Amino acid sequence: MNKLLNLLRWRRDRLERDLDRELRYHVERRIEDLIRSGLSESEARREANLEFGGVPQVQEAVRDTWISRWLDTLMRDVRYAIRSLTKSWGFSLGAGAVLALAIGSSVAIFSVVSTVLLRPLPYPDAERIVSIETLFTNTGQSAEMVSGPDFLDWQIRSDVFARMAAFFGSDDWPAIVGGRAMFANVRYVSADFFAVFGQTAYAGRLLTAQDVPSVGANPTTVVVAYPWAVTHFGSAEAAIGKTLGREGRTAVIVGVAAPGFRYPGAAELWFPFNAQPPPHVSAAQLQANRANYIYQVVGKLKAGVPFPRAEAQMRSIGDNLAKEFAENRVKTVSLVPLQDRLTGSVRVTLWVLMSAVGVLWLIACANIANLLLARATGRTHEIALRAALGAGRGRVVRQLLTESCVLAGVAGLAGLLLASMLMQGIVALSPANLPRIGDVRMDTTVLLFALGLSLISTVLFGLVPALHTSRLNVSDALKRSGSKLTISGAATRLRSVLVVAEVGLSVILLVTAGLLVRSLFALQHVDLGFTKERVLVAYTEYGVEGDAEMRARIRFYAEVLDRLRAVPGVSAAAGVAYVGMGLEPRTPRDYSIEGRPQERAGERPQAEFHAVTEDYFKTMEIPLVAGRDFARTDTRDTPQVVIINEILARTAFPGESPIGRRLRTGTSLRASSMEIIGVVGDTRMQDPSRPPQQVIYAASNQGLGNSPSILARTSLDETSLATTLRMLLNDANPTVPVKFKTMEALFDDTLAYPRFRTQVIGLFAAVATVLAIVGIFSVLAYLVGQRTRELAIRRALGAKAANVIRLIVGQGLRLVAIGLVLGLAGALASARLISGLLYEISSWDVGTYLVTLAVLGSAALLAALVPAIRAATVAPVIVLQQE
Amino acid sequence: MSSTRFPIPQGTLDMLILRVLSLDAAHGYAIAQRVQQISRETVRVNQGSLYPALHRLEQKRWLRSEWRQSETGREAKFYALTRAGHTQLAREKESWDRLTAAVRLIFGEGA
Repeated sequence: MNKLLNLLRWRRDRLERDLDRELRYHVERRIEDLIRSGLSESEARREANLEFGGVPQVQEAVRDTWISRWLDTLMRDVRYAIRSLTKSWGFSLGAGAVLALAIGSSVAIFSVVSTVLLRPLPYPDAERIVSIETLFTNTGQSAEMVSGPDFLDWQIRSDVFARMAAFFGSDDWPAIVGGRAMFANVRYVSADFFAVFGQTAYAGRLLTAQDVPSVGANPTTVVVAYPWAVTHFGSAEAAIGKTLGREGRTAVIVGVAAPGFRYPGAAELWFPFNAQPPPHVSAAQLQANRANYIYQVVGKLKAGVPFPRAEAQMRSIGDNLAKEFAENRVKTVSLVPLQDRLTGSVRVTLWVLMSAVGVLWLIACANIANLLLARATGRTHEIALRAALGAGRGRVVRQLLTESCVLAGVAGLAGLLLASMLMQGIVALSPANLPRIGDVRMDTTVLLFALGLSLISTVLFGLVPALHTSRLNVSDALKRSGSKLTISGAATRLRSVLVVAEVGLSVILLVTAGLLVRSLFALQHVDLGFTKERVLVAYTEYGVEGDAEMRARIRFYAEVLDRLRAVPGVSAAAGVAYVGMGLEPRTPRDYSIEGRPQERAGERPQAEFHAVTEDYFKTMEIPLVAGRDFARTDTRDTPQVVIINEILARTAFPGESPIGRRLRTGTSLRASSMEIIGVVGDTRMQDPSRPPQQVIYAASNQGLGNSPSILARTSLDETSLATTLRMLLNDANPTVPVKFKTMEALFDDTLAYPRFRTQVIGLFAAVATVLAIVGIFSVLAYLVGQRTRELAIRRALGAKAANVIRLIVGQGLRLVAIGLVLGLAGALASARLISGLLYEISSWDVGTYLVTLAVLGSAALLAALVPAIRAATVAPVIVLQQE
Repeated sequence: MSSTRFPIPQGTLDMLILRVLSLDAAHGYAIAQRVQQISRETVRVNQGSLYPALHRLEQKRWLRSEWRQSETGREAKFYALTRAGHTQLAREKESWDRLTAAVRLIFGEGA
């Protein structure tokens, strides 16, 4: 853009300099002549200037001719373009619609990309905010989770951050508002949290150092999100001073955050917490905590500190800690810009969509170039005439470019309208947790993008035919002007190339869409290892502190489960601490088998750890392979028992029975050892897209794990059972919040991203295929139209209709075949790029490729048959008479 | 002096320039001189309108220009007629002839 401006500026400067020189030469020559005729120099100069009438005035007059000439030509070209476009309104409408469709979809996708990935986060100095993470050197993976002691060390040892804050919590934390139990999106944040984001309060004040409770104590103040305050108290001001929580553990609302601030995710309540360890914690326990990942950490770089320097410092701090502590041996620190962290998971999806829409747009351009070329060929005579009358080659090119410019301009406007509609559709289709999707709108960036797209389209599809036509031989074209022109070899070649390109690009899109569809289908029908249908999930939260409350919790769930099992239509019910299904992913725990040598930290085998109640496997219909299920007789006062899954049994106990063997979990050797009492089938409980992992199940009745969610298998309608269960829970303890889902809905949610990608790309692929087919059809129909006379002569000389059809169809299919082969090569390459998005299916899936070829091939055959049959059925006499 | 000279009639400056340049390429000053010489000093070129006219004709591609050494040894911008310019000159001459013939008829000269 700047280069172009500079070029224009340079050109203008040169024009001005030349004009100046030219006029000065004139005046000086006149002065010389006047001196020669006897005037003194000063008189001569005065006389010359007087005659000339002032250099600046003349300069101005000359400049006027430059501009008016330019405007004049432009106006004439535009008028001519509009006239010629409206004259063939069928063509204009078709080409305009195709282009509007392409521009519209590109702009719609780009506005999503622009909002989600490109627009800076809505915080002051957002580019200085980073996520400070744990980098595991053995796997190379960076994880957001940070241990408490690591956070404290980072704070003390670094000097590149203006602020650093840790936070933890959950989207579903129990809260009691006005005596009513509910779930809230809660974060416990360290003192500098709001300062990192540069926030000020909307009402009241934000958390400061004075709010941080003393070590080990509960917080007494809380800041709430604006929409939450409005929902629960009517207004932000009304919320100030209200209390949350139950007796003995209340917190006062001291402030309401600015309306847009919800970090992280859609947080509603922010409680202060003290990151310092309680004084009674031993040094050994503190060290063990280094393997306990509970925080997320954000920091704001000091102004002027470049990202690489901060990264280097944190890396060296992490490396030093790795040398100092055994637990840190396989980890160090990494910095990730907050924007990248927030959008990392959707980046791939969005760029895939963006590329798909780019391919679609290219197809549209090829299509329109083809149409324009066909038109230009039809207008050979007109253009030849213009050239003969003195229009230079540049002039003709400019005329044709203006025409495509007008077309692209109108199509661009229509495309913007279409884009705003598509945008709503995409937002509606998109996964609910797509970051910032609610902010998607058309802004200047998007409008500039649309403008750029229209301009590039103009050049892409306008220049090719324009240059092509301008090269034509004038006298040749005029000589043949009487009858319809036969098309030149070069034009046919160019159009063939465009058809090949369209078919090839469509193959790429169709294969991509096909692979995504097959992958989604495979995911939907993956063997989960349990039966997801007809299971009601009730999230509950029963907070406990100390042994007495833990026992109460166990009693509470035992009672609720017993009463639930007595409900008619409920075949089984159980509790599980983490439902899984892609939500709240749990980091696996180290485990070790008793009686075997201990591996070093970082090399121990790992397993997911889940606390469940009795009947969990029965409820989920997970087969019990060996041993027994948990029972009510496994209590806090009996030895701890575990059940493992088949993979773990196979891995840790190859060829022997694991029943009766013992294992420990976690890093501390003092953890009690637990007896293996059973083996169950493998499941994809955590994340359906990942193959089953090793799992250890512990008994929540023995006080392990967080408070369980309740699962019930029912032959009844899940919603009516939910009503019953809510009453049951409320009877047993009204302070326990609950919310319901079905296992099937949870599973469906895990497919949100794959489904979104597949739907959008599938739509693009369908449009691309239609465009390609239209392209093939229009080229062949045009060729047939041009060759009507020749074909009629062939027919008159005795060629059979079948021969003519074969001739035309063969011509079309040859192009299609080349396109298919080239497209396959491209598709193989692009399928490799998206292999990370494919589940249970390889990027070489032969079926997908074959189906694509069959679909495109048969559609192309149809597109070729129509004009071919028309050519074959025309009566030769009529055609030849017309000539 | 000036009372003995005609200003150039509106719209004919272009034709005069084309005519002068049809003989040989020339720079602006020379064009003005030559119009005066050929018309035996009866026609006066307004120098203020000469240059806009030259640029206009160049943009219409009837003239092309290049910087060349002039007779005084300095660089000057020389204009020359293009093929389209020759065609245009012929066209203008024809319509001028028809106009002057018509005017002469009206004043009874041909009677």
